[in-house]
Amino acid sequence: MEKKSLFKKLTGSREASLVIVLVVLLIVISVMNPAFLSFTNIRQIFLNNALTLMMALGMLCVMLTAGIDISITSILAFSGMTIGLLQKYDVLHNTFLLFVIGAAIGLFCGFLNGTIISRGHVAPIICTMGFMYIWRGMAYVISNNAWASGQDVAGFSDFGKDGAPGPYIILIITYVIFFIVMKWTRFGRRIYAVGSNAEAAEISGINVAATVTSVYMIMGLLAGLSGVLSVSIYASAQPNMQYGKEMDVIAACVIGGVSMSGGRGSVVGTFLGALIIAIIAKALPLVGIDSIAQNLVKGIIILAVVILNVLTQRAMDRQNLMRREI
Amino acid sequence: MAGKSGREISASKAVSLKDRLLTWEGALVLVLIGVQIFGLVISDNYNAVNVLREMPKYLAEIFMLFGMGYILILGDIDISVGSIVCLSATMACFAGNGGAPFAVVIFVPMIVGLLCGMLNGLIATKFTELPTMIVTLGTQIIFRGIAEVSLGSGGSVSMKDQSGLIAMSKKIGPFPLSFFFVIIAAVIFITIANRSTFGRKLYAIGSNRTAAYYAGIAVQKCRFICYALLGFLAGVCGLFLLASLYGANTTTGNGFEMEVIAMCVFGGIATTGGKGNLIGGFIAAFVIVCLRIALGQRNINTQVILVVIGAMLIVSVLIPAISAAITKNKKRKAV
Repeated sequence: MEKKSLFKKLTGSREASLVIVLVVLLIVISVMNPAFLSFTNIRQIFLNNALTLMMALGMLCVMLTAGIDISITSILAFSGMTIGLLQKYDVLHNTFLLFVIGAAIGLFCGFLNGTIISRGHVAPIICTMGFMYIWRGMAYVISNNAWASGQDVAGFSDFGKDGAPGPYIILIITYVIFFIVMKWTRFGRRIYAVGSNAEAAEISGINVAATVTSVYMIMGLLAGLSGVLSVSIYASAQPNMQYGKEMDVIAACVIGGVSMSGGRGSVVGTFLGALIIAIIAKALPLVGIDSIAQNLVKGIIILAVVILNVLTQRAMDRQNLMRREI
Repeated sequence: MAGKSGREISASKAVSLKDRLLTWEGALVLVLIGVQIFGLVISDNYNAVNVLREMPKYLAEIFMLFGMGYILILGDIDISVGSIVCLSATMACFAGNGGAPFAVVIFVPMIVGLLCGMLNGLIATKFTELPTMIVTLGTQIIFRGIAEVSLGSGGSVSMKDQSGLIAMSKKIGPFPLSFFFVIIAAVIFITIANRSTFGRKLYAIGSNRTAAYYAGIAVQKCRFICYALLGFLAGVCGLFLLASLYGANTTTGNGFEMEVIAMCVFGGIATTGGKGNLIGGFIAAFVIVCLRIALGQRNINTQVILVVIGAMLIVSVLIPAISAAITKNKKRKAV
């Protein structure tokens, strides 16, 4: 086997180039504002983006099967609102049970998504768009347009308040589990197989429909958990929470090198992609750019990254062709 | 006459009323009638005059339906239109407040929309490897970002001189002015899609892009035109939205892209490309609009409509899949 040179390793793998981007970014920011790399600051970056980081993992699985799920923030709102109301009307105050209920709601929503997509052969974007409306609407219906305020969720919000270890522990656990599952288990490899070539996967004995369904169930589960987490971090539940944020999750995956046509992407890449977006958002005001321009910068970065990716891919293809001619 | 492949050979065939009703568009007409009955039953105020009075709010979105229909028929998607609406409405307000005459203000959102659409088209055709969802996801954030930056910290702008906009929301008889524009646009775009070479090219590209390319169709040119057209129509939507809102803010047009796509899909236009008819999308748009007005009149929680639209969307895409499965089963039994 040919040994790869260090240079090739760095430019060849998406994760390595993302790490380089991240390091350069951190150096530039901390030169301009040394206060950036403080412990509190980093802790807050993770807390503020815990939901995106969490759901990006599910989106990774979904996008690996060449699908997409835009119902996630609606599932989040529905599960979060349910949790909020359960506390508002003093039905339940046990943190663990609340998490279980939120996860179960998410799992059910994901199951509906997955079944309709895999058994009904409906385009993922259409099916999840339908449920995007349904669950968001349901969140409004069950709450009757009201909020669950900070007082209502008083005891519960201690779990996710600034400084509490809860959200970090959950994040670390899910990332470790996903890293292992996607890399070293049969189930994880099946997802990649279905994504790269569904037909070949079917012929080689993989139950494609079941794999696709389970992928959406994972996504739903994470969205449901994020709903509970969101209630505890922001200490309130309102039916319009995280509206439109599903695009942030997709953007994180895309920057992290997850291909929308399936089969390509990794847990590490997703993590780095989400982190880069988070750091840029946090750093803009610190380096003197108005935070109003946040979205503009984010959009430009997304486009630049994907176009750059295409250009390098084209250059690589051309090089390979040239080598073959000689 | 059926040929070997089972397809009709003769260009025009006699269609019975039953066959017409059994098509997706026929079914949609029945649904539309059903919605009218539903409206009459649940609300005393549901009559033509009231419905037409409330319609302008929703009519603006229908302009985008035609462009989005073209894009979906091509097998592409554009999720940046909501942001284009926001940006074009914002720019129109700035132009109006900057002292431009109303005749100029009318063209500002259209030009802004056209430019945005052309940018989408340029990126989508120059980098064909990229899924258009990602391209327009990027531009979606960028266009709204530009609007946010230009709106500044206040986040909203309103038109100071509203006389032009008030003239635009005038009525002819019971019909709002925009209603006529929508009808004219519908006639033009549906004719182009169904009767012109360009329209048929779109279907060819949508059903098999490679085959269309080898058949000598300028695929990328057609795609570029459609993106530019959709951008332009989003600008038109921005203009008519101004006529009922008299201003713009950073959330103007939020979620419009999904609503328009939902109308198209509910109208039978498949996101996989090459299938569907704009007429269906047009009828579906009125189904959704009438349903909204009817539920709104009963003071039913406005968000309930979300659940209804979502359910309709899923049912409408599931029906073809289920009926296909049933016919497949029948055939298997017959063999």
